[in-house]
Amino acid sequence: MNEQNSIPVTKAERSAKFVKTGFQIGGNYIKHYSKKLFNPDLGRDELNEDNATDIYKSLSELKGSALKIAQMLSMDKNILPKSYVDKFTQSQYNAPPLSGPLIVRTFTKNFGKTPEAIYDKFNIISTNAASIGQVHQAELKGKKLAVKIQYPGVGDSISSDLKLVKPFAFRLLGMSEKELNIYIKEVEERLLEETDYELEVRRSIEITQACKVLDNVVFPTYYPELSGKRIITMDWINGLHLKEFLQTNPSQALRNKIGQALWDFYNFQQHELRAVHADPHPGNFMITPDEKLGVIDFGCIKEMPDDFYVPFFSLISSDVVKDKDKTIAAFRKLDMIHTADTPAQIEFYYKAYLEMIQLFAKPYLSTTFDFSQPEFFAQLYAYGEKIAKMPEFKQARGVKHFIYVNRTNFGLYTILQELKAVVRTDTFKPHII
Amino acid sequence: MATAQQIKNGYIDYVLTHDEQPKSVYSFVKKLKIPEAEFYQFYASFESIEKLIWADLTVETLDTIRQQEVWTQYSSRDRMLSFFYSYVEVLKRQRSFIVYSLRQHSAKFATPAVLSGVKPIFENFAEELVSEGLESGELADRKFLTKRYKDALWIQFAFIINFWVNDDSIGFEKTDEAIEKGINVTFDLFQRSPLDNLLEYGKFLSRNGGFTEKMRK
Repeated sequence: MNEQNSIPVTKAERSAKFVKTGFQIGGNYIKHYSKKLFNPDLGRDELNEDNATDIYKSLSELKGSALKIAQMLSMDKNILPKSYVDKFTQSQYNAPPLSGPLIVRTFTKNFGKTPEAIYDKFNIISTNAASIGQVHQAELKGKKLAVKIQYPGVGDSISSDLKLVKPFAFRLLGMSEKELNIYIKEVEERLLEETDYELEVRRSIEITQACKVLDNVVFPTYYPELSGKRIITMDWINGLHLKEFLQTNPSQALRNKIGQALWDFYNFQQHELRAVHADPHPGNFMITPDEKLGVIDFGCIKEMPDDFYVPFFSLISSDVVKDKDKTIAAFRKLDMIHTADTPAQIEFYYKAYLEMIQLFAKPYLSTTFDFSQPEFFAQLYAYGEKIAKMPEFKQARGVKHFIYVNRTNFGLYTILQELKAVVRTDTFKPHII
Repeated sequence: MATAQQIKNGYIDYVLTHDEQPKSVYSFVKKLKIPEAEFYQFYASFESIEKLIWADLTVETLDTIRQQEVWTQYSSRDRMLSFFYSYVEVLKRQRSFIVYSLRQHSAKFATPAVLSGVKPIFENFAEELVSEGLESGELADRKFLTKRYKDALWIQFAFIINFWVNDDSIGFEKTDEAIEKGINVTFDLFQRSPLDNLLEYGKFLSRNGGFTEKMRK
């Protein structure tokens, strides 16, 4: 892997990057329509592919929060056409690392000591890149450790990045600025939290303690005394990433076991802790040699307040959906139906959102659910595509909490689908007061 | 009997409190309560104290980085990066003085006089890195230009120090970025690049001008 030589950091530089992408996408449209003049049957697939490549290229050069946004967009597979997704998922793995002396510098700043003085062994070449940092292998007293180091200046650039992404997101998602602002703010809050490594260590310890009751889920031990503002030290978890694991052709029983662990992990957090690991991208999970699920990144935690949790999960796990008035009342609480809506609009959104909720709740309706069946996901994607084309959904609706809760649950569903797992879905049920 | 260290500390204390040089060596030694001769035993002038402070900090940095275990594994690029990261760390201890010293002796286009002692030390170090880099193939050997590599690094030196003096970000994080980006760009230019190939191609074409003309006919 080549070490990246520079991250465009000043706003002007980053803007230049985004502007370039904007031009390129404009160019792609011109290319598409001029081709279409001669070949009217030409589909949009090639255009989408071209666009995705350009977006990915510019985002991966930006690193940091922009890369995070690339990752977020890729999680919402149901919103984006397939070729966007393929390119974006690349961003979940490779991003080039930073120089050795800067790593040493980060250590001396945090601890007043070089990594060699702190650990018995420290590999100066990073093994993985996280979106706002990189991971190094180290050893102390015979224990293998993972050391996560944050890039300098990440926090600074997040706000300015998001401002730049905004117009880009309008075009990509076809939303208006005013509506998008509350969502952007929510994303900004989570991203800023993610740059706070001290907070991450505290939360990791809290959540891993609380989740100890779960079977087949393992967590690294965190070392607060070896962690700081820009550094986190934790145990190294041996194991395979999801993709590698699937290549080993695991048995159905093993897939189910891992899938169950994943389901339990998420639903325990959602319903018992009301705070959830909201970054379910495959890179954050490992399958250990003793066939357990390892969870390694607690940077992004979404807390669910009652005024969101209760109406949302009442739609999923109770009879509310059978009663139209109650359902509409819940939709109103969640801001999916606005007070200014006309009766015709209420009817329209009621139907559209009911369909979504019913799809989403499917796994909860029976005691077991088979995530390998393609129909369920075909329906989900079809619904997403349909929604994307409806002018009524040009404006975003729903409270801000949906961003991360949807991302979490669709992420969970997607991973379970890749695992082709059959899981018991009644292990941790929603508590509706 | 005063030591060089005491005189130096007395001087730093004076300039930081008064924000200017003492009016004369005479008034300065009077304050320190030492005979003038002792001052001249160690220093020729106030400027020479300042120059020496800079030189000491630079030498100290070089000594520290060379003692790092990873030093032998570092490429020339890494070594230069390492130098600057350590340098700003060392300078931080004397930041007030450094800021004072550069403001007092700012020279827009030339090397400020206080840095005249540092320059040969740094250039020596830079030349060492460049020749190691040339040997290992990390850097490209270019006629005429290779000799100027150290000048480019000196420009970076001046830029980074200036940047650091004016940096108001927490923990001087912006300076870290300036170092990472600046040194990387500079070393990218020292490496063999498409530009070299373009130049080679240009040379080839001009040498074979007759041939291309024939093709046109």
